[in-house]
Amino acid sequence: MKSGRFSWLPDTIVVRAVLILVGALIAMSLVGYWVYRVGAEGLATNARDRGLAERIVSIKRAISAIPDEVERDKAAHALATASLEVHWSKVSLVLNNAPVTERSRAMEDRLKELVPEFGTESFRVGYADDGALNAGEGDAYRHMLLVSVKLDDNTWLNFASPTFGTAHHLAGNILAIAAIMGSLIILVAVLLLRWVTRPLRNLAIAAERFSLDEAGDPVAEIGPAEVRRAAKAFNTMGDRVRRLVSERTMALAAVSHDLRTPITRLRLRSEMLDDEQTRNLIDDDLSEMELMINSTLEYLSMGVANEPPKVFDVSTMIRTIVDGEADHGHSISLDDMDHASVLGRPVAMKRAVWNIIGNALKYGSKVVVRIKREGAQVRVEVLDNGPGIPIDEIEKVFEPFYRVENSRSRQTGGTGLGLTIARSIITEHGGSLSLKNHALGGLIASIELPIFPFSKTSRPLTGTDTALATRLQPPNAH
Amino acid sequence: MENSEVIPTNDHGNVLVVDDDSEIRLLITKFLQRHGYHVYSSADARSVLETLKKFTIDAIILDVMLPGTTGIDACRQIRRTSPVPVILLTARSEEDIRVSGLEGGADDYITKPFSPRELLARLRSVLRRARNGSVKTSSLAQGNILFDGWTLDTLRRELTTPEGVLIDLSTGEYNLLVAFLEHANRVLSREMLMELAKTRTADPFDRTIDVQISRLRRKLETSETAGLIIKTVRGAGYIFVPKVTFG
Repeated sequence: MKSGRFSWLPDTIVVRAVLILVGALIAMSLVGYWVYRVGAEGLATNARDRGLAERIVSIKRAISAIPDEVERDKAAHALATASLEVHWSKVSLVLNNAPVTERSRAMEDRLKELVPEFGTESFRVGYADDGALNAGEGDAYRHMLLVSVKLDDNTWLNFASPTFGTAHHLAGNILAIAAIMGSLIILVAVLLLRWVTRPLRNLAIAAERFSLDEAGDPVAEIGPAEVRRAAKAFNTMGDRVRRLVSERTMALAAVSHDLRTPITRLRLRSEMLDDEQTRNLIDDDLSEMELMINSTLEYLSMGVANEPPKVFDVSTMIRTIVDGEADHGHSISLDDMDHASVLGRPVAMKRAVWNIIGNALKYGSKVVVRIKREGAQVRVEVLDNGPGIPIDEIEKVFEPFYRVENSRSRQTGGTGLGLTIARSIITEHGGSLSLKNHALGGLIASIELPIFPFSKTSRPLTGTDTALATRLQPPNAH
Repeated sequence: MENSEVIPTNDHGNVLVVDDDSEIRLLITKFLQRHGYHVYSSADARSVLETLKKFTIDAIILDVMLPGTTGIDACRQIRRTSPVPVILLTARSEEDIRVSGLEGGADDYITKPFSPRELLARLRSVLRRARNGSVKTSSLAQGNILFDGWTLDTLRRELTTPEGVLIDLSTGEYNLLVAFLEHANRVLSREMLMELAKTRTADPFDRTIDVQISRLRRKLETSETAGLIIKTVRGAGYIFVPKVTFG
């Protein structure tokens, strides 16, 4: 953040925080000062009101003691002062029908509070009838507030004071208002601090989202100096990591790819051999090498979709695999088959299922596959009668290049990538792959996949459902 | 052009091998010669057309990854003047290249690293098709085959249901289906089907034709259409019932 006005200040988190702190402190002090002022004024007004009330009471007593009407009037005038006018009359100067306003009601309440001896009927608060009451001039009559006090002989003493009813009874509310203002200041300060630290959070988010495939937008190098520096360092590091990984990946991919030519040559050469047994052994070795290369290349291209998403029947796909394995002499059967359409990449999915079934055939002599619809999911179970996997290793087998110790895998070949690739593909399709040992021995691999919501009456499928299609697209299709 | 010395051994046919790897070229040449073919070879695609003019070539084995003109471009050029069968050699995971190769008029493709016996089987198959003058794969490859709402995309080898769901087929099932579609509404004996359907594969594990047909039926038919798509003609064989259109 480069502000022209404050460019002389170093734009660091420290400076920003200090500015916010000082701002908040000043605002708090102002609120405190205001609270003090209003409180002090309230106290003064209270005292003045009390004085007025006391004078009203004493004047009333004094006038009541004078029986003569002329004397009463004179005495009333004599007791009047600039701050409190007094006038005696036979009828109340506050009319019964005088409109009640907030000010008059406040005055009435105040008098009741200060002079408890005044009964409800013994005094009235209202505006002087200065002739405007019926003149239709709106608020004109509200100029002077009067207090009429009834004497024992049903005559009235009328008091008028410019300060009547002007006291603000804020005393109780002062703290609440101060609290609200204080909270507001804290809120603003917190928002400001969050704004100051936002680049830091963005940096953290970028670090969490960092992925190798993503050429990704670099973190914006904005914010306070410390954050700008961290963002720049992060971007540089990200580039370096990506370059390093992609160089290694390319090297591995190039080697794997280039091995195909010598393997092709070897296949042709072995064909020239007359010794059929040796030829077959060489062919087997070559097949194994090919498998390793292919799975390595697949692993390296994981997450890179070069296959457009389509709706496919996962059950016939598994049927093909099972039939093929059975034709190759394996004891494998497909029990229970529900049809289930899945949106995804059929070639990749076939590879995933084939890896899982191949794994089962590698460790077990007998394999059973079951396909069941369960609500919006299809569950594929691959059961073998092999030795299973020790519980503590069950998750590890999904790690790349991991092999279960003392397994027969070294004799049977494989790269330790099959299940890694399978899980990656299935997860990408919004499904899950898990392994568990069967109670009676052997391993159960369970694949769960979301069924494509397929209604017979609906549009002809284009094979692209946006939500899933997006998920199936890699962050960047190379 | 480095024509290898032509060793006439047998007259199974004249094959032109185009690959930029000299070892592979030599090995394929030797291998095919052992199996009775005349072999011409070339390191690049430029002189293919000349060779076609000079010699009688019955089939071309063409590597896709060639320096200069790619195998696919070469294939298009060949197709402009000659119907000679072309087998493409491709690397794995190059689906797009395979499809554009078939669109460019190739008759078949085989993936490196390939087994030589597989190559031999494919070669025999394209030669047999060319000689029999049967429906060429390349003409099939120009588009989709439709039946009963279903679509068979012969470029991608993909079968889709009327609802648009992709149905997976094994190579054997695919070949069988193509055989049926090419000869719809005709009774095909087991022997004919075997002959027609094994054209593309040399898989020694292929099951008997009856097993293949029952597997194909299971994938094509629902409980309502059971027995209505591929009908058994007692004592004669099978007949593919739905109307087939090439589009």
